[in-house]
Amino acid sequence: MKNDAPARPAPWKEPRYWRSLDELARTPPFQEWLQGEFPDGAQALEHPVSRRRFLEIMSASFLLAGLGLGGAGCRRPEEAILPFARIPEGYDHGVAEYYATAMPVRGSAIPLLVKTHEGRPVKIEGNPLHPQGRTGTDAFAQASILNLYDPDRLRRFTRQGQAVAPAAAIDFLASQAREWAERRGSGLAILEGRASSPSRERIERLLRRRYPEARWYIHEPIDLQIARASAAMALGQPLAPAYRMDLARRIVSFDADLLGTEEDAHRWIHQHARGRQLDDDGRDPARLYVLESLMTLTGANADHRLRLEPARIPAAAARLWWEVHRQAGWAADEESAALRALANSYADPNSWCAECARDLVESRGQCLVVAGHRQPMAVHLAAWSLNHRLGNIGRTVHVRPAPAAAEKEGLPELAASLRAGQVEALVILDGNPAYTAPADLDWRSAQRMARTVIRLAASEDETSAACDWQIPALHFLESWGDARTGDGTVTSVQPLIQPLFGGASGKDGGWTDLEFLARIGGLEEQRPREIVRQTIRELAGSGDAVRQWRQYLHDGFLAGSAPAPASPAWQPGAALECWHSAAGSLAAQAASPGLQVVFHRDYSVDDGRYINNGWLQEMPDPITKLTWENAILISPRTARLHKLAHFDRIEIALRGRTVEGPVWIQPGMADNTLGLALGYGRERTGRVGAGSGYNAYRLRTAAALHADTGAQIRLVRRPGKKDRIACTQDHGALEGRPIVREASLDQFRADPGLASGAMRIEAHRPPAASLYSHPPLTGLHQWGMAVDLNACVGCSACVLACQSENNVPIVGRGQVARGREMHWLRIDRYYAGPPDRPLDEQGDDPQVVFQPMMCQQCEHAPCEYVCPVNATVHDEEGLNVMAYNRCVGTRYCANNCPYKVRRFNFFDYHRRPLDRLYRGPLAPKAPDERDLIQWARNPDVTVRMRGVMEKCTYCVQRIQQAKIARKIAAGISGDIRVPDGAIVPACAEACPAEAIVFGDLSDPNSRVSVLRRQARCYRALEFLDVRPRTSYLARIRNPNSRMPDWHEHPWSLEDALRRREGGRPGQAEPAGRPEGGG
Amino acid sequence: MPGVFPKWTNQLPLNIAAGLAIAGAAVAAGLGYYFTPKYTRVGYQPIQPVPYSHATHVEQLGMDCRYCHAGVERSWFAGLPDASRCMNCHHQVLAGDPRLAPVRDSMQTGAPVAWIQIHRTPDYVYFHHAAHIRRGVSCLHCHGRVDQFEEVRHDQPLSMSFCLECHRRPEAYLRPLDQVYNLGWNTDPARQNEQGRLLALTGDMRPPLSCSGCHR
Repeated sequence: MKNDAPARPAPWKEPRYWRSLDELARTPPFQEWLQGEFPDGAQALEHPVSRRRFLEIMSASFLLAGLGLGGAGCRRPEEAILPFARIPEGYDHGVAEYYATAMPVRGSAIPLLVKTHEGRPVKIEGNPLHPQGRTGTDAFAQASILNLYDPDRLRRFTRQGQAVAPAAAIDFLASQAREWAERRGSGLAILEGRASSPSRERIERLLRRRYPEARWYIHEPIDLQIARASAAMALGQPLAPAYRMDLARRIVSFDADLLGTEEDAHRWIHQHARGRQLDDDGRDPARLYVLESLMTLTGANADHRLRLEPARIPAAAARLWWEVHRQAGWAADEESAALRALANSYADPNSWCAECARDLVESRGQCLVVAGHRQPMAVHLAAWSLNHRLGNIGRTVHVRPAPAAAEKEGLPELAASLRAGQVEALVILDGNPAYTAPADLDWRSAQRMARTVIRLAASEDETSAACDWQIPALHFLESWGDARTGDGTVTSVQPLIQPLFGGASGKDGGWTDLEFLARIGGLEEQRPREIVRQTIRELAGSGDAVRQWRQYLHDGFLAGSAPAPASPAWQPGAALECWHSAAGSLAAQAASPGLQVVFHRDYSVDDGRYINNGWLQEMPDPITKLTWENAILISPRTARLHKLAHFDRIEIALRGRTVEGPVWIQPGMADNTLGLALGYGRERTGRVGAGSGYNAYRLRTAAALHADTGAQIRLVRRPGKKDRIACTQDHGALEGRPIVREASLDQFRADPGLASGAMRIEAHRPPAASLYSHPPLTGLHQWGMAVDLNACVGCSACVLACQSENNVPIVGRGQVARGREMHWLRIDRYYAGPPDRPLDEQGDDPQVVFQPMMCQQCEHAPCEYVCPVNATVHDEEGLNVMAYNRCVGTRYCANNCPYKVRRFNFFDYHRRPLDRLYRGPLAPKAPDERDLIQWARNPDVTVRMRGVMEKCTYCVQRIQQAKIARKIAAGISGDIRVPDGAIVPACAEACPAEAIVFGDLSDPNSRVSVLRRQARCYRALEFLDVRPRTSYLARIRNPNSRMPDWHEHPWSLEDALRRREGGRPGQAEPAGRPEGGG
Repeated sequence: MPGVFPKWTNQLPLNIAAGLAIAGAAVAAGLGYYFTPKYTRVGYQPIQPVPYSHATHVEQLGMDCRYCHAGVERSWFAGLPDASRCMNCHHQVLAGDPRLAPVRDSMQTGAPVAWIQIHRTPDYVYFHHAAHIRRGVSCLHCHGRVDQFEEVRHDQPLSMSFCLECHRRPEAYLRPLDQVYNLGWNTDPARQNEQGRLLALTGDMRPPLSCSGCHR
């Protein structure tokens, strides 16, 4: 019989949140999942291992063990210690070293501080010295370390698919370069992606001088450059915008996923969290308005969200512009005339735009309007126009001069000249055009028209098939290079390890983009380090070059290299022209029939470049919580209309092309819209990424890169067992217990206790008495953590930071589907629907809350009572620690954990290939693969074996290291208290929002102690009297009372309050919902 | 009906139980003795590629431990000298001695000298040299009178109970920092306890006793 916690609240008296539509409707599959003591066959040794097979395997392994004992004796095998012949100066074996570098991403870079152990990079962290501030990292940067050790990287120089010696490629390019130079580069086409490297700009200038007739093309499948292009157009010079979300009090986003998929999202998350801070001095948090079609991270964090089909967003944006214009009382002019028709094509039925506009007008100079990369130029210019007219430029949005981009054409032009036979030699510098090119270009056949194709490639992929020469590209952790971060600072990229596959000298492992370009150009200087050094010498200007270089490498950036903000004048002509030409087609598009389609950047694999990264693949998508796959996102209402359910296989037909994929019903999606994540469904990729998802690029055309209209869908089949997707949203469900708290700003100011829930279940908390004896907590420090739900946006960088720091294994799709994912830190995403609407409408416009959930380090830890072998016990400083070597794997502790944060190693994930887990010890080890990935492991943390329970311990290795460092410094003196801030767990380190704060609770002035005294501080499931050491700070929404979707309280709270007052279930109470204990 | 079983079988269960108990006790005792580090590890003395004598270098020449084990105050790993450090002296002293051939080879080729590891904690134990040395625990307590060894051997069991003995009673072992590397430093036990208590008090010594101290 299932035994419920005795103090379980009656579910309908508590704020109601749901994680999935299944949970909301309490459908049979959800109930089944919930009721299983261990989800889906976790207890049974099931297919394909039968009981008999299991016994066979066991006896075989005992036999092996016996042989081992008898043959090898009891002595430990002899091992050698190998000291250096000459030790590098200043090197201490065993002491981790940190180097500043950066990860180049499209037109920007993420400044990093990378930890190396014995010359192996093992952990990526943000560079705190960088002028951008302590903005943490994003999930891609955290996971990029796995790409370095990816055994499926391109390792060989190839010609026509056959391996050749690197010298052959060098000779070939040298002779080609001479030939090209003679012909002034005619017939040479160079295709590259976006880059921000000053050295690359310099080399390109040299190449253009040598090959004046060569043609340059640029292709970025998801191009975020429009933010800069629009600034340049609106303000008449090359500019890079820098938003100040921390200063803006009102922010409006036109489909701009600033907190997720826009360029430099980690920076905006950092600023957003600052802007949302609730100070005791009464500063109110910023208010975020979002217009969008998909449910994005930005939309999920919005105070007001308007969901619209993609084709109607430009009209709604124009409407908002028009409303601002009207309410501000500006005189009618050419601009208002140009936008009038488009604005009128959106009716603003519930005056969402009008009220939003009023709020903007009332906060002139303190608001910010941003358009996203999926929007056309007209919308960007509308946003710039609003910023200009509201006086935001120079206040909440800065513009800095950016290097003028050289003229480059796009992929369609290249395809055309290939077909015209104008390209003799095609050089592909970045990307995978055969996979990412718009479907109507038929790129593969075009690429074959070139006589020679030379490519710098990171892996064998779709483009490889039509390449004559392939040069392995080095990972950025092996490269000399440079980059500009979003603020324009020149940032260093320096190698932390010699090229992995380059032999002892490292020379044959591959080339950086700089070396590749230099060899293409036949330049004199081809060594990337010298190229970068030359660039820095030029950029740094006068001074001691050696000292500047050293300082630059040490700090990771060139101080003072960010250009000062400019204050250019508004150029009315460009916007007018754009609006005049675009308004008609945009208005026509808004009226077009059929389903609409949005192609979007994926939170896990970007545009497909991270498809072979197991950490990212297994990271639950922040919104959908899907792993290992993409799905066709569709709103609940549209799904009902088309009679679709989760995982139904449907076929989308768009402009004569079709693609098939599974349905995912996404609450909060715009109706009549399909969301297709790019980057999956690869034909040729590594072992991790093979066979995951469907390829949305096959529907994408050059004319409609981001959204299209006129799609048709057809049900192919209902899902079979094989069609189920591994989704974690219902894993560890908490059955309606009040674990997230939120309140509206006004109510919170009136009654601060409302947020932390003093009036709720905690009022009925049993008297604090425990039947068990507890170890005395006598340690010098008492560790604790505070997580600010107001700052957390759900980006999941912490999940990957934890995975990287703590050697958390990848388990594979099948295991995730069984609820066996190993993430120590998960981010729970909760929805709440309007309480006064019927069940069917709950999923239309839900409010969303994110909650990072990890071990809460309960002082009265329920897991400890049930462990028969004392494998999990408390230490003096309040940590609930795991002794892996004691654990025998009863899993009682996981069962008794109220937060469901313990993870069990069902298999030897670290040693066995994921597709043969069920063969146990008989599975073959793939030596190259495993050995290489082992290099990414953190040597400070035990690698757990099969049959062992594990969980978060606040990064106990970092705590101990900090304590030891303090003791080493203290010597024999008693000054051993670790100062506040000296210990930063991996999750807190990675968090761009600084939402996670760790510290010593016994110090009343530590940051965590100060946070715990805040009124909105609460502890999850406090009524269980488990006394968690982690506390949460409730989320405070800041809705505008004049908006149509305003509610006094957040919906969940309003729902609870209303029913509590009425003493009866709400109107939306679903039938059969259990009352009381259940 | 006559008994099917003879009378002596009445004793059988008791005998079996007693036999099993004795056998069990013997196995337990055997395991406890032969399968613990006290037996398996102590005294382990492999033949090293270079017959290096601590006695000569420390006892006779008076070298400090840290000249060769340079990381001991900074890292978990005490550090082994690189070949060039040996050659600092040996390019003049015993310059052509055949016993030093591996070191000279290493110096020339860059290939390391393959010293055979003697002291080793299991993978799940995170021992930190600097944390002990810098807080007044001498080399002596784990490595014995290594300064007098002709050939290094495993001197102490280094088992968990061995570690805990000191962690529970640090005052019996703590020394002033200037005596940490003086392995011959001797005080009578009574004085040691008194001084150790003082050191533990002023240094706020709290050797960890819970799992997290060493297992992560």
